[in-house]
Amino acid sequence: MNAVAVIARKEAGDLLRSPRGLSWLLAMAAALSAFSLLLISDAELSLLDNAEAVYGMCAVIMGLGALLAIVMGVDTVAGEKERGSLVPLLIAPVARDRILFGKLAGIAMVWAAMYLLALPYLWAAGGAGQNLAEGLVSLALLGTPVVLGFGFLAMGMGARLGSTRSALMVCLVILLLAASPVILGPSLRQTAVGRIFDWINPLSVALNALDAVIIDSQAVVSQWLHWNLTLLFSGITLWFARDGFYRTAL
Amino acid sequence: MLIEMKAIQVNQGNASILRDVNLSLDKGSIYGLIGPNGAGKTTTIAAALGLVPVSAGSVRVLGKDPWTESRFVHARTGALPEQSGFYEWMSAEEYLAFFGNLYERPLTRGEIAQRLSQVALAPRPGQRISTFSRGMRQRLGLARALIPEPELIILDEPTNGLDPRGRRELHDILQELAADGIGVLLCTHLLDDVERLCDRIGVLVSGRTVVEGGLADVLSANGLSQRFLVRLSAEAPPDEPHPREASILTGNGGWRIVDVTPAAKPEDVWRKFYDLGWPLVEIKRENTGLEALYLALTEGGTA
Repeated sequence: MNAVAVIARKEAGDLLRSPRGLSWLLAMAAALSAFSLLLISDAELSLLDNAEAVYGMCAVIMGLGALLAIVMGVDTVAGEKERGSLVPLLIAPVARDRILFGKLAGIAMVWAAMYLLALPYLWAAGGAGQNLAEGLVSLALLGTPVVLGFGFLAMGMGARLGSTRSALMVCLVILLLAASPVILGPSLRQTAVGRIFDWINPLSVALNALDAVIIDSQAVVSQWLHWNLTLLFSGITLWFARDGFYRTAL
Repeated sequence: MLIEMKAIQVNQGNASILRDVNLSLDKGSIYGLIGPNGAGKTTTIAAALGLVPVSAGSVRVLGKDPWTESRFVHARTGALPEQSGFYEWMSAEEYLAFFGNLYERPLTRGEIAQRLSQVALAPRPGQRISTFSRGMRQRLGLARALIPEPELIILDEPTNGLDPRGRRELHDILQELAADGIGVLLCTHLLDDVERLCDRIGVLVSGRTVVEGGLADVLSANGLSQRFLVRLSAEAPPDEPHPREASILTGNGGWRIVDVTPAAKPEDVWRKFYDLGWPLVEIKRENTGLEALYLALTEGGTA
């Protein structure tokens, strides 16, 4: 079997068979349950237009996906280094790029698991309307590079800092910063600073595109610029992860 | 030569980790790399495995530069790092199968069972590694290190935390490997392990090799012997004859202090004492030559 596939399968096991990975999936399911329950049962939120509900769920799924990718991304390098399981991998006769790509594939599987986990919740929140299919497609197209980008960032940070705790802290601060325009609302986003921040922030780029597709019913292909920006983000973070991984020693 | 390091230096940032390390290990030999904490033993191993670049000097492992030709070296080298972590959710069988695939040596169930028995590890079927004891983990790590059927095996503190039986069994395995022509680089704090197993030693202090060579040669060159306290059940034979590998330093009633030359095996020497009529009833090791040498060399070093 190809080394990339062997490592990717191991990474999938880390998520789906280890107590730590399963606990995280359970926590994600609980968070999605809570949010979808709010959308359905809360007096004000239940009045939201179906498209708004789908958009809200997609944003939450992307945010939680990025969080999970950060946790698993930090663990796959810094965590393994701390536990002493990284060195046996590094001294196997496998090119570092193959190990790296196996681990990157592991991050992709984390997002795939999150996406699959979220499907019933999305259906519960927005199954009654017509924007669900658009939501699913645009979440796959825009969410994938964003979530993978945060996972790669976490891998690179973990490799550089060599400490799970430090890398996790830094990445969570970056995720919070990226999410801040969403939290702060539209008034700040209308200012020049807000607009610039919106264009350089991969999370808001993806959310703006989701907004355009799901709420404004624009065509998915019309969001090619946003999509390219998210791809650029994942490309930069991939380079960051690769560079950090090559510096990893004992 | 399996490993040849000449005057290597390793820097990390502005810090100089290794300043002048020399090491040579041949086939079938067991090399003991000893030194205080922080002396640079783990970095030396990392340099041999191509995990850190060398800033000066030369390293050849199996005739290749391990930094530039790491895949060649890794395919023929087994290693057991000091902190050898495992995937706790796997079973021993899954773990070996995983590394077998990585080494492009897919293992059948039978081969996995054979490799586990080679290291005297018999977990319950499907037993997760998270339930393994320290000794079981060490054995599993050794089984992993043996997957490539290596020409060279590098072990960092392999007997740490093992009970006496586990230690003895590991010694036997390493001696069998050496008898099969595999070179073993053993990095340890336990001088007893070195004395039992190694034919060559290197002592590292503050990133420098202060002594390197054959164990007996090193001890002889430093005028160090193995010192024993022996108890007699009756009078010593007249004129106190003794084998030429031993010298009697002093005596007090039924006790004698005996020095045995570094190259001699103590059990052979005691047999000769019996043959000469000495009524030995108790033999107590006072000081090994290696211990005295180690203490002298590392005095003032990082500990």
